[in-house]
Amino acid sequence: MTVRAHLIALGIVALTLTALALGYHNAFILNLVFAGLIFAVLGQSWNWISGYAGQISFGHALFFGCGAYASALFAARHGSPWLALPAGAAVAAILALLVGFPCFALRGHYFSIATIAVAAIAEIAATNLAALGKANGFEMPILAPGIATLQFSDKGHYVLVALALFVFAQLATLGLERSRLGFYLRAIRLNQEAAASVGVDARAAKLTTYAACGALAALAGSLYAQQALYVGPEDTLGLPISIAIALVGVVGGLSTVWGPALGALVYVALARYGGALLGGQGHGLDLLLYGGLILVIVSWRPDGLAGIGRSIRRALERREARAAP
Amino acid sequence: MSAPLLEVRGLAKRFGSLRALDGVDLTVPHGGLTALIGPNGAGKTTAFGCIAGAQRPSGGSIRFEGIEIAGAAYHRVARLGLVRTYQVVQPFAEMTVLDAVTVGALLRRPRVASARDFAATTIDALGLGAKSATIARSLTIADKKRLELARALATEPRLLLLDEVMAGLTPTECAAAVELLRTIVARGITIVMVEHVMEVLMPLADHVVVLATGRVIFDGSPSDAVNDPGVIEAYLGRP
Repeated sequence: MTVRAHLIALGIVALTLTALALGYHNAFILNLVFAGLIFAVLGQSWNWISGYAGQISFGHALFFGCGAYASALFAARHGSPWLALPAGAAVAAILALLVGFPCFALRGHYFSIATIAVAAIAEIAATNLAALGKANGFEMPILAPGIATLQFSDKGHYVLVALALFVFAQLATLGLERSRLGFYLRAIRLNQEAAASVGVDARAAKLTTYAACGALAALAGSLYAQQALYVGPEDTLGLPISIAIALVGVVGGLSTVWGPALGALVYVALARYGGALLGGQGHGLDLLLYGGLILVIVSWRPDGLAGIGRSIRRALERREARAAP
Repeated sequence: MSAPLLEVRGLAKRFGSLRALDGVDLTVPHGGLTALIGPNGAGKTTAFGCIAGAQRPSGGSIRFEGIEIAGAAYHRVARLGLVRTYQVVQPFAEMTVLDAVTVGALLRRPRVASARDFAATTIDALGLGAKSATIARSLTIADKKRLELARALATEPRLLLLDEVMAGLTPTECAAAVELLRTIVARGITIVMVEHVMEVLMPLADHVVVLATGRVIFDGSPSDAVNDPGVIEAYLGRP
């Protein structure tokens, strides 16, 4: 797709969702759209480091939780949640640098394992630290609704805020693909040694990307907390959240601009409808389903839904070419 | 400038008890083409790996334009202007020729648009222009080697280490490659090349260094090299 085509697609999505947010007042659907947008942003963040840079993360909830807790802490102390956005993003970026610095010196799966471990440590820490509300987490105070407090009485307004972040993430990804860093990440993924031979500092490129990922996922976490008005360790830092983010990235298609958005669509539909169908609490069985889905996609179509879309387009083009000799 | 471009002293590389390089001395002046030759297993590729920074030497000193680079990170050495190509080509398999060369060009041109332009010029100069949209994986071996060279040249190096760029080429392709190397040298880029095709090397090289079992056994002009009893013995054995 050309930049123009991407921008047109993004414009159509943004306009449609804006119209939906302002004109449609079904809270259930608007909550789904909000969740979808938040997961699309989280999936995009995951896509930067695990798709473009090829470093699979299984601990993305760490950054999501960072942003969520920052939001909760600032709101609980009656500070503006707007300060929580940069604060959570900065903490997440620093954590990313701390995790990435030792791991990116190594090849192989060390990074993936470290991401699981660090997210697990963060979850345990949040469960036990009084300052972070222990296992109960935070009930956030209800503030006067409005853009200053990022709390809204109208669900549609949450969708608009999440939509703004989603549009930003999409534009940033388009920019990344066409930047020096984007070229370097592709080169590193394809052949790290050859990349280094022409002057690419692989570790610096991965660290930069990972820090940006952390910041983006934290922003999504902050918005989520403002909407949920509750932040707890399991809900924001748990392994199931990390798996869900990875699922969103993998299902839609790695290293594509629209993959995470497609993945988020599938995930939200599965989580809300599938999760309910699979009975009771939706715990356990739905995770099995996601795990199975990741396996099927990885072994059958590693390029995900975006790749399937591309194949269909090519098949249609071939058919047209045959039809008009 | 009085200091040589590259000055290697006592370069050593051990793999366990094997001494792949056992005190190699090598001086490369500014400009021209130096040939590094020697029988299989002499340590030529290992020497390239250590000089370019891909491998960490076990000992010795490597000075590039007066700067000590022994043990420096691979990408840092490339930034200083010393770039190598691989004997076994290492393409970015899924990239187009233009994108792969752009990765090299981005070293000196951070803006993608100008790096792309420079990459396109480099590709044209190497006669790959018609294939700039081809995916690297599907190139012929001769074109892959050319791509490897284009990617390295796009970084605008001052010293280029070429590891068997002629191997596997047909005689016609070889002749084209010789012309190409002459134009690169004429542009002021110094070349050190490992090569087995002697009849290609002899008229091209200004200076020949012969390695055998990790040591330099000859350093001088091409015509003297072919008559040196030590060199003949290293290649053919003692009569």
